[in-house]
Amino acid sequence: MSGRVYFEDVQVGQTQRFGGYEVTREEIIEFARQFDPQPFHVDEEAAGRSMFGGLIASGWHTCAMLSRMICDHAIPGTATTGALGFDDLKWLKPVRPGDVLSVETRVLEKIESPRRHGVGTVKIESRVLNQRDEAVMTLSSLVLYQSRATA
Amino acid sequence: MGETDVLGSHTVTEPEIVAFATTYDPQPFHTDPEAARGTIFGGLIASGWHTCAIMMRLSVESARRKQAVLTGSPGVDSCRWLKPVRPGDTLTVRAEVLETWASRSKPIGFVRSRVEAFNQRGEIVLSLVGLSMYRRRQEGSA
Repeated sequence: MSGRVYFEDVQVGQTQRFGGYEVTREEIIEFARQFDPQPFHVDEEAAGRSMFGGLIASGWHTCAMLSRMICDHAIPGTATTGALGFDDLKWLKPVRPGDVLSVETRVLEKIESPRRHGVGTVKIESRVLNQRDEAVMTLSSLVLYQSRATA
Repeated sequence: MGETDVLGSHTVTEPEIVAFATTYDPQPFHTDPEAARGTIFGGLIASGWHTCAIMMRLSVESARRKQAVLTGSPGVDSCRWLKPVRPGDTLTVRAEVLETWASRSKPIGFVRSRVEAFNQRGEIVLSLVGLSMYRRRQEGSA
């Protein structure tokens, strides 16, 4: 058995926890200026007057930070080839400067798709947690894994 | 309801794809044009999260033009990255309102929309159904 994790090796119910992403004010503003320039993401004063009571990260920035944590900690050693998309994304709590994010993943389901040559789909739930262990975002990704048979 | 609206267009460049992915999705098919050629994608493709971020940018600009005040989003029901987005692709985003309702306790309203991004060949590359919150016009204001 080679060291890589293929579709066949994935088990429903498996969990992983990783992360430690420090969210900075500068990064929140930089991301949002480019992709989500709403006052509560780019302007501290306006954010203070908004219903959020201060600067918060764009929800898509939280997705991007989740992606980075997955790339750094979950993908190495696995035979994944991308993702089809996701379901049930919920932005549950604001992400603020100084927050430290981590991720808890759980394999929900293995979906075989023989028409995709040697590639199977795995539904994986990710919960993004802050330093108080509050879930700030959850989603279920459809991740593509190579089959060992065709590797 | 059922109203479809073109939110705007954006042409995606190679430096932009590499810059986003280097920070947020460092996989060879997103960051390294050479290595990407040897993958199942046959060349550099944008991170799906990058496509979502571009969609968001166009949504915010469109809302601003209409003087709509967005106040965040509770989430996205589903999102599919249907085709690769490559350097030089021009993405156009359109949105269709599926459902709207007003909050009972706050001066905001919810809109559920289907948002699609398609490329210059008319192929849909991203399709999502998501929720947005808007500030409601107050009684007596214009």
